[in-house]
Amino acid sequence: MSKERIKISEALYDIMPSDYQDLVKSATYGKEDRGWKDIGTAKELIEQHSLCAGCPESMAFRYIIASLPNPEDTVMVGSTGCTSLVFPMVAVHNIHSLFGNQNAIASGLKRALSLRFPGRIKDVVVLAGDGATVDIGLDMTLQSWFRQEKFTTICFDNELYANTGGQESGLMRKGFVAKMAPVGKQFEKVRLPEIARESGCHYVVQCTVSKPSLIEKVVKNAVYVAREIGPTYLQLYTPCILEIGKNSMEGLQEMRDSEKPNERFAYKEFVSEPAKQLLAELAAKEKERKAAAKQLAGQAQA
Amino acid sequence: MAETQSLIGTQNKKGQTYTDPWYMLNEALRTPSFFTGSEVIKEAIRRASCDIMIAYPITPQSEAAALIGELFAEGYVGDYFRGESEFAVMSQCAGASFGGARVFTTTAGPGTMRAMENFPMWAGARLPIQMIVTCRGINSPLSIQPDTLEISYLLNTGMMVWHAETAQDFFDWILKGFIVAEEPDVHLPLALCCDGFFVTHTKDVVQLTPADMCLPPYDPYRSPVPCMDMECPPVRMMRDPFVMKSNYISYATHASWQQEVWAAVERSRKHAIRWLDGLIDAENTDAEIMIVASGTAVSQGREAIRMLEDEGVRCGLVKIKTLRPWPADEIREATKHAKHIFVPEFNVTGWLAKEIRATIPDHHRVYAGPHVCGGMTMPPEIIVSEIKTALGMKTFSLAGRGS
Amino acid sequence: MSTYRVLPGPEHFLPPAAASMGIRLPNPGEAHIHGVIVPEEQAYEEAARQFLMAKVPTIFPGPLVLWAWNEKAAKKATAVRHLFETLKECVQPGQKPMLIPMPDYRPKYPKINPEIEINPNHPNLTIWHNKIDCCMFVGVHCHQANLSLKIIRGGTSCYTIAMCAQAGHEDAMLSFRDASVDKIMKLAETIKRLKGTVQPRLSTAKSH
Repeated sequence: MSKERIKISEALYDIMPSDYQDLVKSATYGKEDRGWKDIGTAKELIEQHSLCAGCPESMAFRYIIASLPNPEDTVMVGSTGCTSLVFPMVAVHNIHSLFGNQNAIASGLKRALSLRFPGRIKDVVVLAGDGATVDIGLDMTLQSWFRQEKFTTICFDNELYANTGGQESGLMRKGFVAKMAPVGKQFEKVRLPEIARESGCHYVVQCTVSKPSLIEKVVKNAVYVAREIGPTYLQLYTPCILEIGKNSMEGLQEMRDSEKPNERFAYKEFVSEPAKQLLAELAAKEKERKAAAKQLAGQAQA
Repeated sequence: MAETQSLIGTQNKKGQTYTDPWYMLNEALRTPSFFTGSEVIKEAIRRASCDIMIAYPITPQSEAAALIGELFAEGYVGDYFRGESEFAVMSQCAGASFGGARVFTTTAGPGTMRAMENFPMWAGARLPIQMIVTCRGINSPLSIQPDTLEISYLLNTGMMVWHAETAQDFFDWILKGFIVAEEPDVHLPLALCCDGFFVTHTKDVVQLTPADMCLPPYDPYRSPVPCMDMECPPVRMMRDPFVMKSNYISYATHASWQQEVWAAVERSRKHAIRWLDGLIDAENTDAEIMIVASGTAVSQGREAIRMLEDEGVRCGLVKIKTLRPWPADEIREATKHAKHIFVPEFNVTGWLAKEIRATIPDHHRVYAGPHVCGGMTMPPEIIVSEIKTALGMKTFSLAGRGS
Repeated sequence: MSTYRVLPGPEHFLPPAAASMGIRLPNPGEAHIHGVIVPEEQAYEEAARQFLMAKVPTIFPGPLVLWAWNEKAAKKATAVRHLFETLKECVQPGQKPMLIPMPDYRPKYPKINPEIEINPNHPNLTIWHNKIDCCMFVGVHCHQANLSLKIIRGGTSCYTIAMCAQAGHEDAMLSFRDASVDKIMKLAETIKRLKGTVQPRLSTAKSH
């Protein structure tokens, strides 16, 4: 939907709840350089959420939604879990259907949108937990990459099944004692970023969500590369503070501790050659745009 | 935004004219053609303005699924690919349908079972996907012969379930199926079933509609639920949120949602009656003996009736066309004079006989059989034998009984 | 023909869907009242009468008219506003017409504010809070409208009307189909014409 179509009918504007009046007045649909800095100044596209206090996933959610380059033309796909309690509150069309089928849904969706809106931007972004992405849905995750489906897959890696109460998952680290891993997990954390690279993803990043500016950068890159070239994958550490025995205010420190060099969430990035070229072109354009804006601002002042 | 009615009379990129469906299917000149069932599926889809078809190989639907790939290559279908499993394929179909496309797929037997989790999701999400089921055995030991057990699993998904007897049914019902499924008051997935091999792999004369006419495209903005394309309100929309959370009234929402799916199946009744010319066909309903069947068991029943006539036994026939919606009133009316009702089925459990017993008064009139339990065809002789045995008439010995 | 009738409730904690009780939707040019198919003309009269009789006649516009997502939607919104203004002009002192939006369908936690909106997952909160005894849905997606209409019939005595742009709603007590700007305007005209001829329920209305 172009930004102009997210508009309340004039005749009924006055009866719309203020949430929607604000959304039309001051949300960042269509804003060229929207990003994490809009949080707190512009109307966010997440109205509310029912996640636990201090949940790093809720921060990640807000950063990601704030960073989507074209939310007015983005459809998101989720899976069953904590994220599905947030998605009804997101002002971007989104789909939940079954547990683990998110990359299959996105494959069909992306193709339908490409067919119906040729020549127009229609971004598809998957956002699901690690159980959905790596365990029950792994087949569909990988196959969508093999087929070079042009959408972004984001995995909220909390290293367990959070919504069902903290059971072992494939992305859990070896030795961690959890429900269904009563003597500690017996095998290594699945190396999905490496698998993603080998499966044909053009842009792969693993990091934590401790830095909003970093999330903005990797989300934008992932969406741009998926739009033009092929599948992209982000694996973001969003610890489930409840299930690893932390307090509400300890999520950020947990992420900072885990992203140190040689820790499991040290920053990791793979970029294919075509993606490198695209990102370089985009960076050059962005630089040009900023220089022009600066010049314009300078002229205005003078 | 496509206002599909206004497209009627215009041409698609293949030069086909979007045609009023009633005219195309009931009045336009038909051409007889000698085709296999699989080829008939292809010819129907050629005329269906189908946006996306997603395929996966499993006997006996593989040929049809591959032939639609040829249609895609020719430009008659918007997009086409092979998914990685039936579970994935049905989710891919869902994704395309959420995105506002007209979606078609084909499946069979064990593949249908593998995909099963998707079907109540399709219905709950009101996705008007059409799925062909070319029935075959599902249980061990493996069989690729016709069986109809998978239909019984589909009956409680909230999908419409139709059971075609012939290739002609198949051709017409694929096109009519899109029309009924996409009605805004229905807007449900359709499982269009046939008995594998008998319909898919045998050749038959089929009357085809003109190849230069096609259905008007699907209009996702008449849907009873918002299309997920960021082109329609409300912008804050998840398909579909968990409404059972929160307070008591929301529990009522979940329950009402389930009721609404089945209400939509009920609403399809009116449209199916119009397009299929009734939910059943009935012949000789004044006879004391009736055969009630669906699928190719109807054809075999018809042949059995002819054989019985030669021996002076008069027998009527009910062909059930739609299993969901279930034609309860029609079956009660058509069998009201019958003293003996025979229900020949390919499957071992006799699910159709159970449905009929639950529908009519004096259900002891129902003889659940004969059953061939997959693995073999259903010779009309065994239907004749079943009837004569029940009536206390002398009958020939069947080799299969080892006498 | 079904003997079931779609009447004001409270019917049951979980009433059946009217379609499952054999109620069929009208064909073009027709409407239904209580599940009985009638000529559309009759439905205008009855809907206008119900509005003029009610203590709190209310219009619930949904997303399809609240948002100006196309020209037609914006025009329908204007017609809905006109209908509301007409209703306000035509009621007698003591009657309180309301215009309350159904802006979206999301389950809101812990609950909605019934003064400013209605939500299909909790529609009765708004009906009860505002003592609404007659309401009309317009611009609500059919699936969501059916859920709401059935829950309202289950738990309240509110008279429900659907101005549906598609095939109509059996779960409402009265339903139009193929709603257009013209049809909404015609309902407004009918209300104007019947002004003063209908006795409001004010004296007999039970206080909640």
